[in-house]
Amino acid sequence: MNAMSNANARSGAHTQQQGDIVIKGEGVGKTFGNGSVVALEGADFEIKRGEFVSLVGPSGCGKSTLLRMVAGLIERSSGKLAVHGDTVKGPRSDVGLMFQRATLLEWRTALDNVLLPTELSRKLTSADYDHAEELLAMVGLQDFTFTFPSQLSGGMQQRVALARLLKTGADILLLDEPFGALDEFTREHLNLELMRIVADVGATTLFVTHNIGEAIFLADKVMVMTPRPGRLARIVDVPFERPRTAELQLTPEFNALVAEVRAVLGDH
Amino acid sequence: MALAEDISVQMPGAKRAGLDMDRVAKHLAIFVGLIALWEISARAGWLNPLMFPRPSAIVQSFYVIYIGTGNAWYHLYITLTEVFIGFLAGSILGISLAVVVGLNPIVRRFLQPYIIVLEATPRIAVGPLIIAALGFGFTAKIAIVMLVCFFAPFVNTLAGMVNVDRSALELFRSLRANKWQTFRKLMLPDAAPTIMAGLRLAMASALSGALVAEFISSNEGMGVLLDRYTGSLNMGSAFATLLSLTLLGFTIFKSMEWLEAKLIYWRNDDAMARISARKRVQMKGAK
Ligand SMILES: Nc1ncnc2c1ncn2[C@@H]1O[C@H](COP(=O)(O)OP(=O)(O)O)[C@@H](O)[C@H]1O
Ligand SMILES: [Mg+2]
Repeated sequence: MNAMSNANARSGAHTQQQGDIVIKGEGVGKTFGNGSVVALEGADFEIKRGEFVSLVGPSGCGKSTLLRMVAGLIERSSGKLAVHGDTVKGPRSDVGLMFQRATLLEWRTALDNVLLPTELSRKLTSADYDHAEELLAMVGLQDFTFTFPSQLSGGMQQRVALARLLKTGADILLLDEPFGALDEFTREHLNLELMRIVADVGATTLFVTHNIGEAIFLADKVMVMTPRPGRLARIVDVPFERPRTAELQLTPEFNALVAEVRAVLGDH
Repeated sequence: MALAEDISVQMPGAKRAGLDMDRVAKHLAIFVGLIALWEISARAGWLNPLMFPRPSAIVQSFYVIYIGTGNAWYHLYITLTEVFIGFLAGSILGISLAVVVGLNPIVRRFLQPYIIVLEATPRIAVGPLIIAALGFGFTAKIAIVMLVCFFAPFVNTLAGMVNVDRSALELFRSLRANKWQTFRKLMLPDAAPTIMAGLRLAMASALSGALVAEFISSNEGMGVLLDRYTGSLNMGSAFATLLSLTLLGFTIFKSMEWLEAKLIYWRNDDAMARISARKRVQMKGAK
């Protein structure tokens, strides 16, 4: 499972998908309050190794609920859900999570925040420090290694959170509106970097957003969800070549796809 | 960048130091003026000497009680001991109990009503009961200070632990941290500023607690000294004792501030800058 072979699996992902299935859901559903609130009706989906999958829909349609079930943070009410072939029973070390809020520990420097996942599982070595520094450089924060979170901008804090996510070594990354609280320029910039980085490390990525353009631009596959009750309405393939540039968003093909997704959402 | 601006604001320039000197001089002039006015009024007989002894008499009394006879030292020592032992015991008990309660939702639910009742009871009113139970000795006074110092750290620690950020807790869960790691690396540091605020409140009331305990029943300590001097109408010495307590209170307050800046370094720009610089040097050295 080295980065190289993952990257290879990834580049083939959007043509004829040959990669093995990493996440598989069959009729995955969730109700809250003894069944009174249906957050998600049975959803069927498969995510292959190295794929970048966006989860898009208006707020309240169950995106976070689905993500947290995959993360093993909440139990599902119905259906089957497997990660790497194992039924999900709780958090796993090969699945990493990132939220809209950076949730950095404010008493730790950027470096020490990045080291947290490793520190929780074993004793730190000097190689860990080097690795954490590399990851900070990867997200463009090489000059802020020893800076505390309160002295970083919102975008920089999310970069630290991303480096921390990568330090977990997880090959499945779950991102819940990771840049949703940032201004549009910063968000677009970070999206481009995110694409580069996950391609570099060859991770399988599930990315939650309520922005249709962003969902399509980043992904190999878009899972479109509709609310009341939360439902996985359609899975749309995104055929565009990689690497992608921001100009892609100006092409007619791209906008046709945006219109297609919007139509699915518009029925509701 | 915002960062650079923040740092430059923290730098005390030469200009600001000059301004400060100016202000200090003004304060000093006003202070000296007031004291002189007081001294003159007292000498002229405009002030009741029983209420307002002459400043020069107070200074003289200071000399007598600390150097002449030197008998204040012992009482100061007694009061300080009560304050510190009572503060340490009370706050350690408060924090530990809050941690136990905070980590166990079930314990919390059952203890809540008792805590509310106890919190509504004026602390010092329990003083005579403690003395009835423990006698007139040193132990009773420590117990009173302990009681006074228990609640603020207890309540604040509990609040801090209960209010830990939910997504941070979720992060720790997703990283499969165990209970101890979650407590040690997330809940405790996250609650630290709130706990520290509780400790500050406790320390502020510890001195008053010790004095009241001494007023109720004692034959030693600064409270007794104050009582004795006032009773014998030795107002110069009474004021000197009172001023000693002011000075003591001020020192305690400043030490707590200093401790807070040290412990809660991430709320202090200078401290963060210092730590960042130190870590940078350490990392270079290791390579
Ligand atoms: N812990 C919970 N208890 C009750 N209802 C919840 C809970 N979490 C989510 N829900 C409900 O489930 C639905 C889906 O929520 P969520 O997955 O957060 O939506 P999204 O992330 O798409 O905005 C919403 O109606 C929400 O109110
Ligand atoms: Mg959500």
